[in-house]
Amino acid sequence: MNKDYFTAEVIKDALVAVGEEMFNAMIRTSMSPIIYESNDFAVGATDAKGNLLAQGNGVTAFLAMLDTAVVATLEKYPNKGDINEGDIFITNIPYAGGGSHLSDVVIICPVFFEHELVAFTVNKAHWTEVGGAEPGSVSTRSTEIFQEGLQFNFLKVYENGKINAVLEEIIRSNVRLPDSTMGDMYAGVAAAKVGANRIIELFSKYNRDNVVHAMQELLDYGERMTRAELKKLPKGEFYAEDIIEDDGLGNGPFKICAKVVISEDKILVDYSGTDPQVPGPFNCSFTGLVTGARCIFKAITNPEIPANGGCFRLLEVTCPEGTLISAVAPAPVSIYYESLIAAIDVMWKAMAPVVPDRLPAGHQRSVGATFVSGMHPDTDKFFVMGEPLVGGWGASTKLDGDNGQFCCGNGETYNIPIELFESRYGLQVEQYAFHNEDGGAGEYRGGKGVVLDYRVTSDEAYFTYAATRTESRPWSMDGGQEGSNNYAEIHRHDGDVERHHMCTTVAVKKNELIRVFTASGGGVGDPKKRAREKITSDIKNGYITEEQASLDYGYKAG
Amino acid sequence: MRVATDVGGTFTDLVYSVEGQLHTAKVDTTPPDFESGVMNTLDKARLDPKAIEFFAHGSTVIINAITERKGVKTALITTKGFRDVLEIARGNRPDLFNFNFRKPRPFVERYLRLELDERVNYKGELSKEVDLGSLTDLLDFLKAEKVEAIAIAFLHAYINPVNEIATAEAIAKLWPEVSVLASHQISREWREYERTNTTVLSAYIHPVAKTYIESLQARLVDRGFEQPPYLMQSNTGISSVKAVLENPTSMIESGPASGIFAAAWLGNEIDINNLLVLDIGGTTAKCTLIENGEIRVSTDYHIEKTNTDPGYPIQTPVSEIVEIGNGGGSIAWVDEGKKLHVGPQSAGAMPGPAAYGKGGTFPTTTDANLLMGRIDKNNFVGGEVEPDLDAVYKAFEPLEKSLNMSREELARGVVRVANSNMTNALRLVSTNKGHDPREFTLIAFGGGGAMHVVALAEELNIPRVIVPANSAVFSALGMLLTDIRRDYVQTKLLRLDTDGIDEIGSLFDGMQQQAKADFEAEKNNNHTDDAEFHYYLDMRYNGQEHTVKVPASISSAGKFDLSEIATTFHSSHEQRYTYTLDTDIEVVNFHLVAIINVDKPTLARKEATGKKMEATFMHSRQVDFDHHGIHETNVYNGMEMEAGMRLQGPAIIQEPSVTLVISPGHNAEVDNFGNYHVLLRGGQS
Repeated sequence: MNKDYFTAEVIKDALVAVGEEMFNAMIRTSMSPIIYESNDFAVGATDAKGNLLAQGNGVTAFLAMLDTAVVATLEKYPNKGDINEGDIFITNIPYAGGGSHLSDVVIICPVFFEHELVAFTVNKAHWTEVGGAEPGSVSTRSTEIFQEGLQFNFLKVYENGKINAVLEEIIRSNVRLPDSTMGDMYAGVAAAKVGANRIIELFSKYNRDNVVHAMQELLDYGERMTRAELKKLPKGEFYAEDIIEDDGLGNGPFKICAKVVISEDKILVDYSGTDPQVPGPFNCSFTGLVTGARCIFKAITNPEIPANGGCFRLLEVTCPEGTLISAVAPAPVSIYYESLIAAIDVMWKAMAPVVPDRLPAGHQRSVGATFVSGMHPDTDKFFVMGEPLVGGWGASTKLDGDNGQFCCGNGETYNIPIELFESRYGLQVEQYAFHNEDGGAGEYRGGKGVVLDYRVTSDEAYFTYAATRTESRPWSMDGGQEGSNNYAEIHRHDGDVERHHMCTTVAVKKNELIRVFTASGGGVGDPKKRAREKITSDIKNGYITEEQASLDYGYKAG
Repeated sequence: MRVATDVGGTFTDLVYSVEGQLHTAKVDTTPPDFESGVMNTLDKARLDPKAIEFFAHGSTVIINAITERKGVKTALITTKGFRDVLEIARGNRPDLFNFNFRKPRPFVERYLRLELDERVNYKGELSKEVDLGSLTDLLDFLKAEKVEAIAIAFLHAYINPVNEIATAEAIAKLWPEVSVLASHQISREWREYERTNTTVLSAYIHPVAKTYIESLQARLVDRGFEQPPYLMQSNTGISSVKAVLENPTSMIESGPASGIFAAAWLGNEIDINNLLVLDIGGTTAKCTLIENGEIRVSTDYHIEKTNTDPGYPIQTPVSEIVEIGNGGGSIAWVDEGKKLHVGPQSAGAMPGPAAYGKGGTFPTTTDANLLMGRIDKNNFVGGEVEPDLDAVYKAFEPLEKSLNMSREELARGVVRVANSNMTNALRLVSTNKGHDPREFTLIAFGGGGAMHVVALAEELNIPRVIVPANSAVFSALGMLLTDIRRDYVQTKLLRLDTDGIDEIGSLFDGMQQQAKADFEAEKNNNHTDDAEFHYYLDMRYNGQEHTVKVPASISSAGKFDLSEIATTFHSSHEQRYTYTLDTDIEVVNFHLVAIINVDKPTLARKEATGKKMEATFMHSRQVDFDHHGIHETNVYNGMEMEAGMRLQGPAIIQEPSVTLVISPGHNAEVDNFGNYHVLLRGGQS
């Protein structure tokens, strides 16, 4: 080691801190609740070739979306002079690098030091609106990408420091809430600039070669850390399969499967055997799939160290083109995240029995995204409410599952406080509580899902909902019981209760009730083996009913 | 005589002033009877309680009762349908790729979370009067469960607490012995989980706080000090016993807040009002930013929050602090990828750094400073400890092997990594929020502050560093210098326009009446008659969520000045978020700061007798200044230095508990109050 070791260390720490700085800038600048409350975004920096240096994540599900976006930008603009100082790029193309669905927009900012391209800062965030057939740009019934909104194909939204006025006008004219949407764009640009300035500072301070060296060293460090963990994993082939119930158009179920091969020097995940892409909007692109595989790769190697491109040198993901999780144009992709999460879950299911200290049993496996739109009863202004829902996580070999957490595709995601929610949307929330649905029993119990009630207060509102695990249940381990289901109900004036697994803009009248259930997680171990004092405590706390204690656990009072 | 005492984790400090001269005393903290330590400081200083006119007190007792889970069995009564809000919390999982994550456990178990049928809507209208029919049965159940405190938290009580008040009154009648706190007493802000959790924590520690404060008072009365003490709060002001018992979480960060206040006070005395404040202790470093003399106080504080743990929100006014696990006792270690880390694990007070010779086997920042000659090995811990160098060498050995470098290189690296951690924390409070560190002065205190501060200033291009006189008891000093302060924060959505401006006036007016009534109820002879008011608005662009706090200016006509407020908002927003929008502005929270000035000591100036700098020379030793090289360095006795003295780096100024390391190329001087100033890169004052 030479004395540059510590200079490199300090620069590496500073590069990781750039991710955190951009993360804060993004939260603070955004106008979309889905960004600032749900943190449905990621920020990061890459080197000049698109290798991921550091990423600040709000959610896990953007883990392969930043570096691949930069790589794709470099492919589209390969010549000297294509990318200039003051340029900022925008993309939301699902099938290319950085792609998920149209609502998630990537902003890419090249960073120049002394006129040399040295890095990129990049972020991806869920915008309020990008147009398309449905308010909020989310559809459970689209059949082509064109119904889902505007497509930005790696365009220059700023050129030589000037905003692209034509593009701005096109966006404004094609979205329902132009101020919000433009606010989302400014937030992304501001965050990218914050990061770019910090990187330029590092170059000025430590000189070019030291920083470039530290960048490479940072990537190598990620690889070394990951390799050390890989050594500890059991080697072999592990397989799991599962289903996705529906594509939004009533087709299904569809098979999804993963074979994980762990060898001395890499982890290969092969999703061959997964069903072909589907007519409805549940398709996920290959970039999305890589993100999913990276999540579990991270979870079973080293969740603590900051993710960078070096870590992922030891991961290989394969899947034939054109499946449900490697879809190609013009497949509709609006609800891609449910299939992405299913891809995470199936690899998780393959690995959980071999790394039980890192992975619990199956969880609700769904964002359970719920949208209500309509006119606010006080202001008569149009609103779109969209929020993900918390559910139950699976038990582990020594612990009960977590109650009421967002799914694995989320992360630093926050529920919307009821007091803000009611004020902002005028809907009345009447219940937010753990439910008593059957499922998840075990020596270690699956975590509880929730039941959430929205009462409509305007003349009419429109309800959109999409989930999986609506018929299949979160998986269990070692003789535990499977979890419960995700689903929604509409309680009509006439006493009718409609059950929905998937619906788009269903009209709900004033004072009718929308009730959403999220799944409880899977149990681990035979429920009969659960310690008696734990069952007594569960009954006292209402985590299980007396009937469930008797039926599932064989518990007799007294 | 005016006295302040501060109960910390390890030491209990006393500061008092007699005719402008400050005196201090330090004793061991005495758990679980913390008040005994307070009495011990008085004894050590031979103070006669009868001669005390004013007694201020800060303490970690409240925060410790929470972090050590030593509160009482607590129940929650909440709105029907929402008892699980406390457990669901916000649903976030900051430990993103740890799929075996478990969220922090709520402080009230589910069977003690009870519901009543009631409802107030978001406009503050009462839609359903609380049904107290089941209350007697509920209370019987809680009695049988031996509950000692009850928190009440209903939806939208921040805007209309009528149902909470009715419930609290009914409980007081049915069960007068139990501690009852309702959410509207704790916070008038929206966000039900944050408000509920704060109320629960307040109830959880209420009996503990009551016992502690009452015993302290009784001991003081025994000694002949009849006045009630003032208690230091997290909002940087002091308050009455009554106010603190209405919301014990208000004391949660009294120590750090007091240090921040002392920094702001000192800045004001010497006319330097843009400060970055850094307090380096044994296990953590805390920092904050003061702009134009204004301390930022906000209500989005969390305890036990880390990068991987969501922690617990405390929706009560706390001076903004960024805290990192990086202090003198932080342990250096190398991970599997051969990266050197410092902290967040700490050797703590026991066993402490390896050099303490108390069995510490891990290398710490303090050990590295000792190896570099920055700490005087002949005067370690004020000369009370002979450093165990063999233990230090042994502690460094595994890391030397692992990184294949010499002990000297490694020690330098440990200090550099520690400095890099602190630099990043200082960036979080400055650059990250739109402030340029070059426009600030860095003030450092706490055990490790002086040791690292010059290197940090170099890193951030900060032109001036201050190490205050009395920096070892700086926190207690703040309590002696601050005023009685109450913060009132009320959520109320309002458009900032000509109609809105009148409502702003009437809302603040109502809050002011409340403040006056509260002060009146706790009046005593330390009070001046008139309260002083400061008005702040948390505002946002319509459609946004996060707010900017700006002072609400009043025009010459004595009314709130619409255009001035809007202008301030736009510029604050631009500073923090880089842009402005041409959108309506919305007020979210009204924040009234009410202050009653108390008499404060005027600190005496440090005398200059014309003593020569050379007279304070102690010795010279080899000191490693990292990239400035190793130099034979003059060490001066800070206790002997006087106003106006100047010197040039490389140099060290040493006091029993302060070591100020001045690298080559920088100038240092002592001001009229005995504070050390370091002017970087040959700067002159």
